[in-house]
Amino acid sequence: MRLARTGLGWLLGLAVIGYGVGLFRSMVASVPHRKAFGSVFIANGWLTALLTLLGAVVLLLVVSVVATAVSNRVRGRVRTPWPLFRQTVTHLGLWILIVVVYYPVVQVVGASFDPRNNLFSFRQIKSSNVLVRAKVLPDLSRAGLENYAKLVEGVIVPTWQWVLIVVLAALLVLSLALGLARRWNPGVHGLERWQNRTLLSFAGLLFAGLMALSPSQFTGMSTESHFVLWARNTLLLSGATGLLAVLLTASAGYAFARFRFPGRYGMLMVFVFIQMFPGFLALIAIYYLLSTLDLINTFSGLLLAYSGGVISFGTWVFKGYVESLSPSLEEAAMIDGASRFQAFLRVLLPLAAPMFVFIFLLQFVGTYSEFVLASLVLTGVKSWTVGIGLYNFTTGSFSTRWGVFAAASVLGSLPILAIFYGFQRYFVSGYTAGAVKE
Amino acid sequence: MTRHPTGFRGLVLALAALTAAVGLSVVAGALLFWVVRLRIPDLPNYLLLATIGIALLPLLALFRRRFPFLSDWYYLLPATLFLLAFTVYPIVLTTALAFTNFSGQNYGRPDRATETAVAFVAPSTLRFSSDPRQALQCGDRCVGIQVEVYGGNERSRLKVTGEGPTTLTLDRAPSFASAAGAGQLYVAKINNYRFIGLRNFTYILSNATTALWPVFRWNVVFAAASVITTALMGLLLGVVLNDSKLRFRNFYRTALIISWALPNIITIQMWNALLNQQFGAINRMLGLLGIYSVPWLTQTEWAKLGILLVNLWLGLPFMMTATLGALSTIPTELYESAQIDGASPWQAFRGITLPLVRTAFTPVLLTSFAFNFNNFNLIYLLLPQGGPAIPGGMATANSTDILISWAYKTAFRAEGGSAYGLGSAIALIIFVVTVGISMINFKVTGAFREEAR
Repeated sequence: MRLARTGLGWLLGLAVIGYGVGLFRSMVASVPHRKAFGSVFIANGWLTALLTLLGAVVLLLVVSVVATAVSNRVRGRVRTPWPLFRQTVTHLGLWILIVVVYYPVVQVVGASFDPRNNLFSFRQIKSSNVLVRAKVLPDLSRAGLENYAKLVEGVIVPTWQWVLIVVLAALLVLSLALGLARRWNPGVHGLERWQNRTLLSFAGLLFAGLMALSPSQFTGMSTESHFVLWARNTLLLSGATGLLAVLLTASAGYAFARFRFPGRYGMLMVFVFIQMFPGFLALIAIYYLLSTLDLINTFSGLLLAYSGGVISFGTWVFKGYVESLSPSLEEAAMIDGASRFQAFLRVLLPLAAPMFVFIFLLQFVGTYSEFVLASLVLTGVKSWTVGIGLYNFTTGSFSTRWGVFAAASVLGSLPILAIFYGFQRYFVSGYTAGAVKE
Repeated sequence: MTRHPTGFRGLVLALAALTAAVGLSVVAGALLFWVVRLRIPDLPNYLLLATIGIALLPLLALFRRRFPFLSDWYYLLPATLFLLAFTVYPIVLTTALAFTNFSGQNYGRPDRATETAVAFVAPSTLRFSSDPRQALQCGDRCVGIQVEVYGGNERSRLKVTGEGPTTLTLDRAPSFASAAGAGQLYVAKINNYRFIGLRNFTYILSNATTALWPVFRWNVVFAAASVITTALMGLLLGVVLNDSKLRFRNFYRTALIISWALPNIITIQMWNALLNQQFGAINRMLGLLGIYSVPWLTQTEWAKLGILLVNLWLGLPFMMTATLGALSTIPTELYESAQIDGASPWQAFRGITLPLVRTAFTPVLLTSFAFNFNNFNLIYLLLPQGGPAIPGGMATANSTDILISWAYKTAFRAEGGSAYGLGSAIALIIFVVTVGISMINFKVTGAFREEAR
């Protein structure tokens, strides 16, 4: 029986692979014999690439054999070269993977510094490097900040904002310096606290500064000159949505985890399953609701529209987290005379801070990439988000706006990138602590 | 801890009390709002939410004194109220619209294409300069339709009760019919949407072979293939990076997470440019290798492969992290004892790593499947048109469209005629399918097993 099942599995796997190979061959056969515009075509270039790779592997083999032989001779021991060879080949493979993964990023960053919109052009590039000539690597011979300049065109910056920018830059440099100092002197204790303080004041000041921006500062005629305003709108919206998610789900998740009231299971089901309705397809209904409440084209309106979508996941994850904490602390507090609500507020909430960070960040990142609801509710360039703006760049006139799109992409990615790498710990532990229970 | 009335009776009692509290506060809040508005006329409507909130708080305190067990339910109240107002209510409305012909044409507003200059000859009779049936485009009979009569700052919605060669009789006389100085009056037909029963669903089913079935099939294949490719690559990468003898592995982990750390609204559109057949960087790179330009976004199979490759790029870091998380829970002693027993590394992998990772991986895989099943951003931003058309199919359901992008284009894009009723019907189908997938998910992972007590 077991054998039959294994055999069946193998047969099925082989059939799928065979079908895939056949499909791929017919797909390859259907590719027309045309070359990309402005590309450099090297016949049988793949052979060269493969041989180069093979050569590199052979070189690594030779190096590992020699290195192992030398170290065996010097230290007087006998070891095989295979572990070293495997290690170095792994590094080679990982570096190839890194190149592949970063290739699109390099392209976009390169394009953002290239004022000539090279994406959809027939222009030949003169360069001694074949990769640049083939436009596989960005041509930086005319690199400039024109694309970035277009994003801030016509923005009037009063003196106090210049001062703020200088202070922010100083804080950022300071925190980076503190980070480096920490790395070099791991023993010194105060450094981490100071770095956290500078980072916190940087984030706080940045947020305050962005909130103080006024739409009247943006006098540029073009759409893209409102980018900084969009960034402000997006950060405001994403932050508020994240905060709302935490506020709404904390008490609900706690109740599901700790209380045993009749109908608890049913309510939990309702909470989880109601969210499986594709939310943004209820756009018309949401639009109708918001227009009844006079909330069209307001951030609070969009925030309310998002609020429905944040509850289910946050409640579920927070419930899982609370269940993993022992109730003894709250019980001790209640024996000492605290009410249930005080125990929740004073004892549990501080304990759950990492989970709040996780829920907040996840909603923040999710809201940042949302554009369907936003583009319906927020009309008018001045209230757009980064997502709507970028989507607007690509519809219709991608060819002429590729450079601006790239520059906006680079700047627009920075907040999420910073958050992700800054709070990587929370993302990883959040998924394991709340979502995946053992 | 307070004692609850038990069982079904307790549930009904609690829900009734909560409904009463919320209902009363809505009434009281509306009253309060109305009173304030008498003093300040141009009050925005959203303050209604605030007045309801103000009315709710004392009522909740009052109800709690009478029913002490309600305090447990109060923890659920904020989330529940938001769910009711901004999720349940829109869903109910959308579900109702799925049984109507609500669309860009029939949406309950006056149709400007039928705008005609008219004058009142009697308090409730309109005179046209030509045949009103042609002017208002109402076919054989205009009796029974709704029209809007407007001029100056006045407007009024009326029903047509009778018709003559150049006149229409209305059900009542608008106040401005006899007033002098109202200026030129116009009339326009109102295109109301109406209840059409199951016709949206029968339409979908009758076109199933060219729309629903191919879209659904690709939807399932896409979600399954995405999960399989990302999981296999993530597993491989995770196992490689979990090797404690590998140097710089923290660097690799951090570096390879990049595609997760960039907002997908940016990266997907970036891929759209990179995969362009004539100009895209990917094809120029392939040119260097002696490969002709691949029609990534223009030919059905290649477009599907392109979607899967982009999704591999997007989803790899998550699967890598999930693998590393699962592997970190395996105690190293297991491997050591396996080594002592003479197991080869491959045997250790099959005997220890795979079974243990599989338990931790099942929920991850199922969640990933459910997410990809409705991965609107990827499908819609990478191929806004949905790839090549399906022969004989709808303009909104092309070869790379999945259910959710089909529904979106049907309801909101010009090529679907903004057929919102039809789009809502597709949304209901998606809802049913997603709930089905999740049921299987919960069944397999046993997520609710301990809750069901």
